[in-house]
Amino acid sequence: MEDERQDVLEVSVVLESVEASRLSEKANENANSNYSLNVSLSERDRSTETLVLAYSLELTSQPQAGRFKVSGTATLKGNRDEIKEGITAPDEKQPPPILVMIYERVYSTLYVLSGALKVPHPMPNLLKKGS
Amino acid sequence: MYSGIIRFYSLSNVRKYLKELLERYQRDYDRSSNVVGSLLRTEGGKGMEVIMSKGWAKVGAMFVNVADPEKGGMEMTFQLVTEMKPRITKTEEILKTFESVEGLAIQADATFLLYLHGGIPERLVVDSTESKPENFAYKGDFATV
Repeated sequence: MEDERQDVLEVSVVLESVEASRLSEKANENANSNYSLNVSLSERDRSTETLVLAYSLELTSQPQAGRFKVSGTATLKGNRDEIKEGITAPDEKQPPPILVMIYERVYSTLYVLSGALKVPHPMPNLLKKGS
Repeated sequence: MYSGIIRFYSLSNVRKYLKELLERYQRDYDRSSNVVGSLLRTEGGKGMEVIMSKGWAKVGAMFVNVADPEKGGMEMTFQLVTEMKPRITKTEEILKTFESVEGLAIQADATFLLYLHGGIPERLVVDSTESKPENFAYKGDFATV
């Protein structure tokens, strides 16, 4: 309805589960930070103005020093076009915008955990493998 | 807020919306009627005169109350309560009989257009020309940089 019209895509990210492991006794925060990230996003619920996605991100450092697995939900609120834009990658080499937003929102948790486990901190940006 | 057309991707979402709409109306009704009821109890015995203001004047195309804001506000709240009741009754009735809509033979990928008039859900269009977007799923491998 007209007075409830959203002008910008609104995204809320909820972290539901976190697993963190230190995989090597020799690991330290200052070693090379090279993490691979396996991502899965799936639709949980959809209405005309809302899309709820379940997400799961698994980060493993190379060489193996630390592993993190975070999962939860991301809710996108906007009109049909805004939602579509939020889940569509600009091209094959780039992640969909919603994935970037999810990673940005959970990054502070990953940063704190990696510090606590004394393993390298993951870097803040994502690059698709093979690109 | 009370008139418009909303599209839904499933009948269960329509039902959910109607249920939430009714709960919202009932909450608003309870809140407003508590305000009026509490004033009537405090000013016991005086009746409707504690609600009805004499300070209204027609200014342009509307009534304006400058002289008696307290009673004027209370009168508007009372009017709101009076108008809410039929809206609640009608929405309740629609929800109670919604099973008959759900019992219709409807194409699985149809979407639904609900028309609200004055806050009351009045009409429903079963739209087989526009279907729900495909389920979204994404998997990928990345490196952090």
